[in-house]
Amino acid sequence: MAETVNREATVGASLDAITSELSHTGKSTSTLNLVVWIDDPDRRDWIVERAGRLASKHPSFTLILDHTGKRKGDATVSAQGRGDDAQTSAQGERVDIDVAGLDTAAIESYVNALCAAGVPTVLWWSGARVESRPIFEVLLPHAGMLLVDSSGALRDESGIARLVAFHRTHADVVLRDLAWLRIGPWQDMIAGFFDDPALRQELFSIRRLYVASGSASEALYLGGWLATRLGWTATAHEHLIDRSGKPVALVREREGEIRRIQRICLDSETSWYHGEVTANAHVVKVWSEGEKAREPRLFPLRAIDNTSLLERAILESGTDELFEQTLRTLETLLE
Amino acid sequence: MTATAAQSSGDGVAANPLREGLSSSRIADPCSITFFGATGDLMKRMLMPAMWNLRLEDLLPSNFAIVGFSRTEMTDDEFRADMRDSIDQFSRTGKATEPLWSDFAKRLSYVSGDFDDTACFHKLREALERNDKELGTAGNRLFYLSTPPSIFAKIVDQLEKGGLGPADNPQGWTRIIIEKPFGTDLESARALQAEVQKVFPEKQIYRIDHYLGKEPVQDIMALRFANIIFEPIWNRRYVDSVQITAAETVGVELRGGYYDNAGALRDMIQNHVMNLLALVAMEPPVAADADAIRDEKYKLLRAVRPIESDRISLDAARGQYGRGTINGVPVVAYREEPDVRPDSNTETYAAVQLWIDNWRWADVPFFLRSGKRLARKNSEVAIRFRSLPHRLFGEVGDALDNNVLIMKIQPEEGISLGFNAKVPGPKMHIRSVSMDFNYGSGFGVVSAPAYERLIGDAMRGDATLFTRWDAVETAWQIVMPILDFWQGNPDGDFPNYAAGSQGPAGADRMIEMAGNEWRKL
Repeated sequence: MAETVNREATVGASLDAITSELSHTGKSTSTLNLVVWIDDPDRRDWIVERAGRLASKHPSFTLILDHTGKRKGDATVSAQGRGDDAQTSAQGERVDIDVAGLDTAAIESYVNALCAAGVPTVLWWSGARVESRPIFEVLLPHAGMLLVDSSGALRDESGIARLVAFHRTHADVVLRDLAWLRIGPWQDMIAGFFDDPALRQELFSIRRLYVASGSASEALYLGGWLATRLGWTATAHEHLIDRSGKPVALVREREGEIRRIQRICLDSETSWYHGEVTANAHVVKVWSEGEKAREPRLFPLRAIDNTSLLERAILESGTDELFEQTLRTLETLLE
Repeated sequence: MTATAAQSSGDGVAANPLREGLSSSRIADPCSITFFGATGDLMKRMLMPAMWNLRLEDLLPSNFAIVGFSRTEMTDDEFRADMRDSIDQFSRTGKATEPLWSDFAKRLSYVSGDFDDTACFHKLREALERNDKELGTAGNRLFYLSTPPSIFAKIVDQLEKGGLGPADNPQGWTRIIIEKPFGTDLESARALQAEVQKVFPEKQIYRIDHYLGKEPVQDIMALRFANIIFEPIWNRRYVDSVQITAAETVGVELRGGYYDNAGALRDMIQNHVMNLLALVAMEPPVAADADAIRDEKYKLLRAVRPIESDRISLDAARGQYGRGTINGVPVVAYREEPDVRPDSNTETYAAVQLWIDNWRWADVPFFLRSGKRLARKNSEVAIRFRSLPHRLFGEVGDALDNNVLIMKIQPEEGISLGFNAKVPGPKMHIRSVSMDFNYGSGFGVVSAPAYERLIGDAMRGDATLFTRWDAVETAWQIVMPILDFWQGNPDGDFPNYAAGSQGPAGADRMIEMAGNEWRKL
């Protein structure tokens, strides 16, 4: 169901129309408000589609604030029923609004009026970077969680650098970065090398981390995470030393699709630990060479599509301590 | 600090610091899992698909191995092909795909042998030691008994003789998962326990009841102890009665031989339903760990009032299904099922009224029922609250129903609260309405099957969702008087309910005498 509301009217009239339309969408069970800010025309359709998938799966109220100018001045109310049978149906509602040309107060009035009370609100800021813009400052206090993608449209490190700077000044904001969530399977794989007690000590003689990836965020997050877990200290821009004061090289190479890691290698004093995406982009081969050589094994690269990452972000509540620690490590690493 | 694999195993090696804080922080130690009864139906339908899906979810350790053990002669490759077929047929994630299947299959091997032959267990030991060397399974061993229960004790004995018990494996851990039923009565359960504990300490025994791995069963504790609004009314002051139902539409299928010697009381009430009773009625545990939770479950079962022999005909009811129709399809009577004796007196339906003698539940009846070939598949716990002390609203004739909180376990998974509301209009008409929460739609995720959760827990050494011996023994003590009475007093009216019905009239009479009625299936 979808109905177009005339946006020639004032914001107040528009809100009345939207509210009226929402009241006819039947029973609803909202567990979440998802406010989506879009200002990149090139990524607009992609983001709308992902938000739509999320809204169709979770009983949420989704408010898409479209600042791209591509909506041509209208607002759309839609509701999607879902469920196994009549007794267990749930419903997500979605309102898409063209906010190009509106001032921040008007945009905030939509958020104030439409978001459901008593449920968490997630702000998905899909702008390329976390900007200190008036609208961002206005929307942020409404959100219990800020969701970004520091490598969404960027191959370089500018997105993650801005996020690290933002975190320094907004440590109280519950933050999720899709780029961080994207490295989850790689973290599991790297950790998997050292589950074998016989290899555990190897962790403390690592001299080099090599990451080939399509964008910088994922590589930096892997470096920051390892530093956090192994007690490495960032001494300067991309310079690390381990607990015994020995240097650990972080070598990054730009390769492959944006937002994707292609291969990693951890060099210890005795061995090389490799992970590499196979011809099947969803499978990674891991093996080690040298003194601690191990036969190759395959790992599924699970749930790294953006919808899965978005789901993880919204289902896991509270602060992600590991992520926060990694961001703090990256402060020095990116200086 | 999050517990990690190394910490849980107590192997003296520092925990893997990279696991801390990851979603996989509870990954298991490297280990070999041996499935006894590896050519059986449970292995094909549930266990191997569960292992495959754990692999796909990256919830198995990097170094793992699966060994099948059964009487059937088979090569490793034949076993792998058989297991691939089972995954293709029964896995929730669809067919096994390359290249992951080949990588997984390398870790599968098979040992054929007679359970009476110690030499075969020596062969198994060699296979496990080979896994330790070649696949890095670090001496950690998990044995899963998915054979007929009659040979559980024999396998445990042979494990010891074959040098596969925990005492023979100081460098790693050795655990055993034992499928239900644990014994066929109190005496046989004690005898089995005596045999098992000769070899395995209690902490290394994992008695599996797959009901406990279901997400809604685990949510019973979350509902009770993660919400402030329920616990204050979870007692005799506010609760009128509790009904626990485990109803199935299926018959005995291919299990006629087993079931005819078991019956509904042994097959469902003594384990699944008693576990639900314990979770619903126990006191808050002091911690969310295995021992604290299982302490409370045991204490609750201990508080169940023993049924006196002269009360059994009043507090218990049984039934056996005759011919009938399920979902429009005619079905045969129980006595016409394969491998069932034509004059069988085994109950396919059991209902029991229990009382819990403690401060919280004094005078609150607990009605338990389970049956096959009933009108609807439905497992649930229904808490019926007391009537209003004074009727203020509603027209004469309005039904003011008692509030009911329903925890739905299967096929629906969720929570429903029944309450009274005013019907819109000028008059104060009151009607009962329902507020529903469904897990699937509430969280937008499908919960993993119980076996995946439970096998993963056993590999990690988390026994929270497994039944401890003291609870098993106490549950047997509760049902034994009924079993003994029924054994000595065969029911001449069998079959006494039609397949596809709500159950036997005797069960209705039992609950009506207590001033209550069964919830419609």
